[in-house]
Amino acid sequence: MSEQALSGLRVLDLTHHVAGPFCTKILADYGADVVKVERPGEGDPTRAVGPFINDKPALEGGGLFLYLNTNKKGITLDLKSKTGASVLTELVKQSDVLIENFSPRVMPGLGLDYKALKKVNPNLIMTSISNFGQTGPYRDYKATDLTIWGLSGILYECGEPDREPLKMGYNVSEYVAGLYGALVTLAGDYYRHDSKGGQHIDVSIWETFHTMQPTMTLVFAYAGFFRRRAGIHFPWGILPCEDGYVGFYLPTQAHWELLCTLLGQNELRDRPEYETPMLREERRDEISGIIVEWLRDRKMNDVFHAAQELRLPLTMVPNARQIFDNEQHKYREYFVEVDHPATGKLLYPGAPFRLSETPWQAGRAPLLGEHNEEVLCGRLGHSKQDLDKFKKEGVI
Amino acid sequence: MSELPLQGVRVIDSCIYWAGPMATVLLADLGAEIIKVESIQRIDFLRLLGGWPTPDGYEWSAVFNGANRNKYGITLNLNQEKGRDIFKRLVAVGDVVTENFSPRVMENWGLAYKDLIKIRPDVVMLSMPGFGTTGPLRNYVTFGPNVEMISGMPIISGYPGGPPMMTGYIADPAAGLMGAVAVMTALQHRKRTGKGQHIDLSQMEAMTTFMGEALMDFVMNNRVRSRRGNRHHCEAPYGVYPCKGDDQWITITISSEEEWKSFCDAIGNPHWTTDPRFSDGPSRCENHDALDKLIGEWTVEREKKDVMQQLQKAGVAAASVLSFAEMFDEPHFVDRGFFEMVTRAANNGTHPLAGFPAKFSETPLSIRRPAPTVGQDNEHVLKTVLNMSDDEINQLAEEEIIGTNPQGWPYAMDEEEAISRLKGIHGKD
Repeated sequence: MSEQALSGLRVLDLTHHVAGPFCTKILADYGADVVKVERPGEGDPTRAVGPFINDKPALEGGGLFLYLNTNKKGITLDLKSKTGASVLTELVKQSDVLIENFSPRVMPGLGLDYKALKKVNPNLIMTSISNFGQTGPYRDYKATDLTIWGLSGILYECGEPDREPLKMGYNVSEYVAGLYGALVTLAGDYYRHDSKGGQHIDVSIWETFHTMQPTMTLVFAYAGFFRRRAGIHFPWGILPCEDGYVGFYLPTQAHWELLCTLLGQNELRDRPEYETPMLREERRDEISGIIVEWLRDRKMNDVFHAAQELRLPLTMVPNARQIFDNEQHKYREYFVEVDHPATGKLLYPGAPFRLSETPWQAGRAPLLGEHNEEVLCGRLGHSKQDLDKFKKEGVI
Repeated sequence: MSELPLQGVRVIDSCIYWAGPMATVLLADLGAEIIKVESIQRIDFLRLLGGWPTPDGYEWSAVFNGANRNKYGITLNLNQEKGRDIFKRLVAVGDVVTENFSPRVMENWGLAYKDLIKIRPDVVMLSMPGFGTTGPLRNYVTFGPNVEMISGMPIISGYPGGPPMMTGYIADPAAGLMGAVAVMTALQHRKRTGKGQHIDLSQMEAMTTFMGEALMDFVMNNRVRSRRGNRHHCEAPYGVYPCKGDDQWITITISSEEEWKSFCDAIGNPHWTTDPRFSDGPSRCENHDALDKLIGEWTVEREKKDVMQQLQKAGVAAASVLSFAEMFDEPHFVDRGFFEMVTRAANNGTHPLAGFPAKFSETPLSIRRPAPTVGQDNEHVLKTVLNMSDDEINQLAEEEIIGTNPQGWPYAMDEEEAISRLKGIHGKD
């Protein structure tokens, strides 16, 4: 295997669900040596989430799990057992980084908090990703993606003003937190030098997601107001066309004029009732109606190119099928084929960024406990008999 | 004083708008020295986008000020050879160069990766245009909203039976975050091998990374998912419920039978909780409408903060839906010191600004300086980094290669009028 950007970085991965595994996926895909620790029997709970081929649940065939755990080695360990915890500390000795996303009580409860692990490996970087952080009055509270959206301030300003606010996408707050996890881990490792620099890094999912908006708290601090939830109405638009949707945000006078040109209806520019942005906002449904009428028998790709020729920022809004047909994705070969014993070959999203000298590499997720022998025997020096014993005791 | 993780790393940063600067602000927060390059002929457009229509309104863009703290700011007219020469001299003593222009811009200036490695062979360069540096769409116009649209996220977002919806902005900071991770990945490689490289980041590809689950369902089952509002595909109750007062809401999400039982106990086991329609996850999902109505009838009589405390005490994931006005007093944020008080003379005082959302035990981070005013650090950077003399600097100012007064700023409204106008367009007190 050729040299990759993060070759040589040894990551001990205790994460599960989405945020933590996405963090370690990024590291693994760019060459870090990631050993994922799952509990024996059922493994990472995301294995049960799906999607599954033909909706048939399968321990090794969960789509989200397969996507989030590419390029990792997989072992099992019951961390609640003394043996399990002891094997983990052996691994800690050989690792640069440990990443976990348990509730903050869990690692101390297992005797595996940073203080204890620092004694085992003073140079260790431990990255802990949790909903609220390792400290604070909400530290032990429960949260899911929707909870975090609601607390971040972002949910409140999404959706229509006359009904409940609306979350977007699936698990977006978790993906964001996972990326921050990768960022801080790499920064912490970059800093380490001359045997110093081991530390504990505390990532709060709530705080990370709060940064994903245009500093609205400062808008409020400067001027005493913030943006009102307003739905998607002109000059915003996600409107149907013949084979899907197109989208745009066209707030300025220049945009309006180019839009009229695109529609082939330059006379709209002369209409006094459409003269200014404010007047147009008042007649937003009317204007959207004109655009929808024009879009009715036009295909999204054609509209996209025609708009771009005028340098008008109007875009396709594709569904999953249409994403795969995107010519830019095809040219850049963004989707990659990954073979896996449980599913056969499937196309996965590929590199989130490209490095000219040390490219991203596709790989597959591990089977449950697939690398127990390689890691416990090969790296830690345990015998095959040890392994049988561990298995009997439910440690692996 | 403790050290910072990226101290000693110097970044020459020509990113503009929001996505690119979000990448470099994270590196700045982590301790790198970011030399942000604008020009007086063309200041960073984000100053205009979030700015005020007042004579100094380009210093009042909250989104700009948040996205550019901890950076040094200089101006260089890169359309002049002298400006480009200074840029190259900075690259020669820099580690990283960042930009998010359309690919032809740096090429036309002779500042593309292939040009810069002649000056600094081990430079790490981040290019993060909307569609990447190659391909049929490479020169197309995109802004953050367009990237969110083309990622596919709107199609799976919206009220059940309703049209696709979007946040309108999230792709910018998300792509920025990915950009920072990309730079760190390349820096790690460089630390180990001494070699730099060119990073080609397509904002569209970065955002599509968040679509894993929906895309896997398509490749596995040929299924295109529909919109389901705030609901989960198999857990219930899962949603946003009304509380007492105008536009007050709580999120309640229950992920196990145990949590459901705790929830029922916490709300006093009203008779409907024993209804067979709600006996397990699948039946609750099937009868989600009826369930939502009943839960809403309970929550609407209560304050959201009380509901949050009551349910969390019982081990249920419930929390207030907060507005941005409610962030500063949040006891959890106060305890963690998440908002830092930042003084910026150009904004007449001290205001709270969200800090970096993670804590390092040995190399703690902080907001060390506010966002630079236009050309604020011209002298400091040119003297300390390039050893320029006062005469040289004065000459550059005379030739308008550098400067501090943006040219052609069109606005002249007074502050009060500007605020009330912006409130009218956007606002809610």
